[in-house]
Amino acid sequence: MSENEISLVALFEKSTDTAKAIDDLHTLGIPDDRMVVMTDVPYPEQALGRTREWSSLPYIVLAGAIVGLLIGLFLSAITPHLYRLDVGGHPPVGFPPAAVITFVFTMMAIIVSTFLGVLWEMDFPSFGPAPYHKAVTDGQLAILIEFSPDLDDKVNQVLKANQADYIGEPEMISL
Amino acid sequence: MSESEVLAYPEDSSAAEFEDRLLLAERTSSEINQAVLQPMFRTSWKFWALVIFLSLLVLWGLFAWGYLIYWGMGTAGINRPVYWGFFIATFVFWVGISHAGTMISAVLRLLKADWRRPITRGAEAMTAFALMMAGLFPFIHLGRVWKFYWMLPYPNNRLMWPNFQSPLMWDMVAIFTYFIGSTLYLYLALIPDLAMARDHTGKWRQKLYRVLSLGWRGTEAEWHKLHRALSIFSVAIIPIFLSVHSIVSWDFAVTIQPRWHSTIFAPYFVVGAIYSGLAALACILVIVRKGMQLQEFLRSEHFDALGKLVLVAGMAWVYFWFAGFIVEWYGNEPVTRELIHEEVAGSLAPLFYLQMSANLIPIVMLIFKKVRTTPWLLLVATLLVNVGMFTERVLIVVGNLQRNFMPFNWGEYSPTWVEVSIVVMTFAGFALLYTIFSRIFPYVPVWEIKEGRLRYTVRRIGRLLVPTAAEIE
Amino acid sequence: MAEIEPRWVLIVDLDRCTGCQACVVACQAENNVPTVGEHETIEGRWLHWIHIERYWEGEYPNIKARFMPVMCQQCTAAPCEPVCPVFATYHTPEGLNAQIYNRCIGTRFCGSACPYKTRTYNWLRPEFPEPLHEQLNPDVTVRSRGLIEKCTFCVQRIRRIEIEAHAQGREPVDGEIQPACVQTCPPDALVFGDLNDPSSRVSQLATSHRSFKLLGELGTDPGVIYLKGGETNV
Repeated sequence: MSENEISLVALFEKSTDTAKAIDDLHTLGIPDDRMVVMTDVPYPEQALGRTREWSSLPYIVLAGAIVGLLIGLFLSAITPHLYRLDVGGHPPVGFPPAAVITFVFTMMAIIVSTFLGVLWEMDFPSFGPAPYHKAVTDGQLAILIEFSPDLDDKVNQVLKANQADYIGEPEMISL
Repeated sequence: MSESEVLAYPEDSSAAEFEDRLLLAERTSSEINQAVLQPMFRTSWKFWALVIFLSLLVLWGLFAWGYLIYWGMGTAGINRPVYWGFFIATFVFWVGISHAGTMISAVLRLLKADWRRPITRGAEAMTAFALMMAGLFPFIHLGRVWKFYWMLPYPNNRLMWPNFQSPLMWDMVAIFTYFIGSTLYLYLALIPDLAMARDHTGKWRQKLYRVLSLGWRGTEAEWHKLHRALSIFSVAIIPIFLSVHSIVSWDFAVTIQPRWHSTIFAPYFVVGAIYSGLAALACILVIVRKGMQLQEFLRSEHFDALGKLVLVAGMAWVYFWFAGFIVEWYGNEPVTRELIHEEVAGSLAPLFYLQMSANLIPIVMLIFKKVRTTPWLLLVATLLVNVGMFTERVLIVVGNLQRNFMPFNWGEYSPTWVEVSIVVMTFAGFALLYTIFSRIFPYVPVWEIKEGRLRYTVRRIGRLLVPTAAEIE
Repeated sequence: MAEIEPRWVLIVDLDRCTGCQACVVACQAENNVPTVGEHETIEGRWLHWIHIERYWEGEYPNIKARFMPVMCQQCTAAPCEPVCPVFATYHTPEGLNAQIYNRCIGTRFCGSACPYKTRTYNWLRPEFPEPLHEQLNPDVTVRSRGLIEKCTFCVQRIRRIEIEAHAQGREPVDGEIQPACVQTCPPDALVFGDLNDPSSRVSQLATSHRSFKLLGELGTDPGVIYLKGGETNV
């Protein structure tokens, strides 16, 4: 966000109006990465006419799974050889116990890496002041727009034309 | 019913019927928020009386645990050959209870069953707290609990590793994994609702929710990633929950003790866990609905659907129980024969018939829609299930240890005040955690309900108006 | 050193056993086994490592008492060993089923897994009232509450004799090593020795047509070999 840019928040009642407003803002030349849409419900992807975000979460999870698998293998198949103690009738490393341990550690790593991965992707936790409007959790759809001052009138027109309930400066709230 | 709602379906008398359905009810977003938040602030003297009562039970249980640690396991009723008693039975019971949370949220989420929406959080919280209670018992039952860390795999000063061939190690790792998984799952789905609560509360609550919601704003990117993560969780947690109770069953099945040494134990335990877990969930929902006045969200449609699941799980349990029993009865091996005799006609017969009736009567009851949709009848049926399943665990653990290959070493078992106090402590502790949770965190997943409302419309088919779900998830 | 590790076995001749319990007492004294008193005994919590199991045969008045001393069977394929999470019980190269008291955390899983139920557990704080503490064996750990113990074949005696013999540059001779129960047994019903030494007394006795292993059908391959009793056991 550069100094001379204006940022606005507009609240909408209906998703159709929001989608229309986004389209109109696109035609004004405001790209997707200058707009943030905030809702209290997960809308289906592309419902609001926006490009889909690329997510690296599956790769993080895959990496986590491999790490978990290796930890499981180390504990179940390597450690018995590091300090060899025989137990009755069993080889030092048997397939079934090793399979159980490896499986569980893999699953544990998948779970943990999904959680950490999604937090990392969402850049959480982020408690600093951020543009927001509390009406979002009351069911309003909010568009947060950043644009250069010369577009000010046009943007306001577009938002009003699409039944924005409120147009104003975003509150900077310490979330 | 307000005028506007009648106008919404002017020609049809079934409009009232749709009002019965949560996802079609005419409510604004902020009304839903308030309907979920308000009950959290209502804490009557009854609530505090309950909290104090449960806390006293927990304190008494902690005293009993201290007594047990100080004097030794001998203060419990266990002996040789019944090395494992109430503690392990209750452990298995709690692990079983924990299974329904995942069943509801992960499986039903994957199947896109919309009736799950208002009850997922309650189910996930039940999983987390039941696992906390279950997780206490491996510590409680250790003879030298102060040495529990010897089971942890870390490079200690002797460079000696724990024995990963032991089912107890599998147990520890699996339960820890399931606990982590279910807690993170609960938390992840809670974040948007915490942000909602943050925006609509003040004072200490606002501070707490602010920290816990991690700066959630509800942007498209956040929703998208959250959805992605929840999908991965739903898929990953199903094999975990299947493995957890299988592993618990292998604590018994890997020994060569007759009646424990059984290949059907793993699925039998899993099915029993789902049966008791779902029943416990229904039971808790009835109580929470009454206590928090959540009639708006927890409706008969939900109890009906949950009751059907309990019914199916119950029938599956009967099938697995019978499949195990028939081969053991038919095989007629001496020790097994003695164990079965002891159960059906010997000293364990009262427990056995209690178990069978408490598990079978609810199945018959739940066939009727009237039972499934009447809260107090459902409460009776599901409480019975849990009495039955607790008894079943006692029979499996204690009953089968009383007899073995060496008749000289046959024994009897009865619990002492220490064991009873500690078992009661976990029930009280569970109820306490759950009660406090329900007043601090939004019990009904608001965003999931709103999402469901986005999904549903009413469509006309001929003369009928039919609720229809859109494929948008 | 011996070319092959010894396989220690104990022969129990049921024909000779009179059920006198001398072995129980000797074991108790040798291994610092605590007494638990009448009340705990009724609860099924006595700790002695050898049980003289008494079985009645027939109906009164034609009734016979059979005695069978049962101690840890030192199984080759021991069901108790794999289930311990902390390796408190494991298999030594000599085929002994070792119990490491210091390592035990008291899960009692081995006790549940043992088909012979010969593992005993310190349910309460063990007490050695005056003057019993005067006779504690310094070679054997005094166990605390909360851990499992069991017959070790008097491993402290095996080790002492082995060390003495090796110091003299020889192998222990047959019969030199005697666990406390063997040393005490008045009718000489117990014999201890190395099964891998074909000339030892136990090797000879093990080939007897009377020999059997307890619960042999389970395939645990015990290190205790019983010789079937006849009519003398009245």
